[in-house]
Amino acid sequence: MTRPPVRSVAAQSLIVTLAGIAAGLIANALSPRGISLTRDYFPDAARATPAPAAPPASTTTPANEPPAPTPAAVAAPVRLARSGIPLLDHARSLELFRDPRRAEGRILFVDARDDRHFQEGHIPGAIQFDHYRMEKNIAEVLPACQIAEQIVVYCNGGACEDSELVALDLLQLGIPATKLAVYLGGIAEWKRRGLPLATGERSPQQPIPR
Amino acid sequence: MRSRLLGDTSVAALAARAVLGGVFVFLGLAKAIEPVEFLKQIRQFELVSQPPALNLIAAVLPWFEVFCGALLVAGVRPKAAALPALVLLVGFTAAVALRAVGVQAASGLPFCQVRFDCGCGAGEILICAKLAENAALGLLALVVLIAPIRKEERPAAPPG
Repeated sequence: MTRPPVRSVAAQSLIVTLAGIAAGLIANALSPRGISLTRDYFPDAARATPAPAAPPASTTTPANEPPAPTPAAVAAPVRLARSGIPLLDHARSLELFRDPRRAEGRILFVDARDDRHFQEGHIPGAIQFDHYRMEKNIAEVLPACQIAEQIVVYCNGGACEDSELVALDLLQLGIPATKLAVYLGGIAEWKRRGLPLATGERSPQQPIPR
Repeated sequence: MRSRLLGDTSVAALAARAVLGGVFVFLGLAKAIEPVEFLKQIRQFELVSQPPALNLIAAVLPWFEVFCGALLVAGVRPKAAALPALVLLVGFTAAVALRAVGVQAASGLPFCQVRFDCGCGAGEILICAKLAENAALGLLALVVLIAPIRKEERPAAPPG
């Protein structure tokens, strides 16, 4: 029984490492879920304030109690305010949801979460716009946002930054800040209040207004 | 011809390869199928925050884990795969422990009650359980690294 020389193992490890990195780059390029190596997914506007401290750990509080606001959730209003995008509380968001103009497409709810979470349950009538996969829905979302008079963007709520990122994406795509708003409580607060949810992809009965 | 799977005749090394490799493949795949989630979790560690470093780690690291894990399971250059696996484990463990210290300071919880999604591919974890798990995996990597291998039997010399 023998052991290979240390230098031999180290040299082979270097080759394995380089091969592994190459395999990773190839797999990411081929994967439909692969991410861009150069895109800044968290642009300067989202880093306008110092990075928040690590979020508090989960505790044993009952599941239906609202989560404590995290430093990230506290920082979001400051960042959005710099871009002129207001935050909406639950009461105002619900008022807009019940406004008859929503059925005409003049009020639009935009869900900033990924496919799986959107299909598991979203605010009825909402359209999906994933910041990390913008190319997927942008052709539908942008015209709908241009028609709408008021756009409410939401994600999970709490520490979720995705609603803020999507609101800033829409701003950069030319949607005026006066039309945009972020529902900070998000789907977590919507569910907690027992409000209706739609599941699956956007219903064919709910065409995106042109 | 001796099977590659039995190249390390030490039973301990064989078991270590299988467990370590299996865990790396499983957890690597869990991260590889949701690279955006892994990207967000790496950012929370605040060690790298901008492209291309952040994006490269999120895109490549999960597949690199799967690659090393597959080599270990298949018995292809297991020592060469165990060394980067050990380096990854040491790095991950240090980063997770550092973040746990920060979470503890923010929350005031006892250290072993701190829990969060460490981006390890297993969802939310209790920090002490995670540190113990990584220590055990590191030990397995060491077993693979130091286990001796048997020389291939040489053919008998011809008579005369």
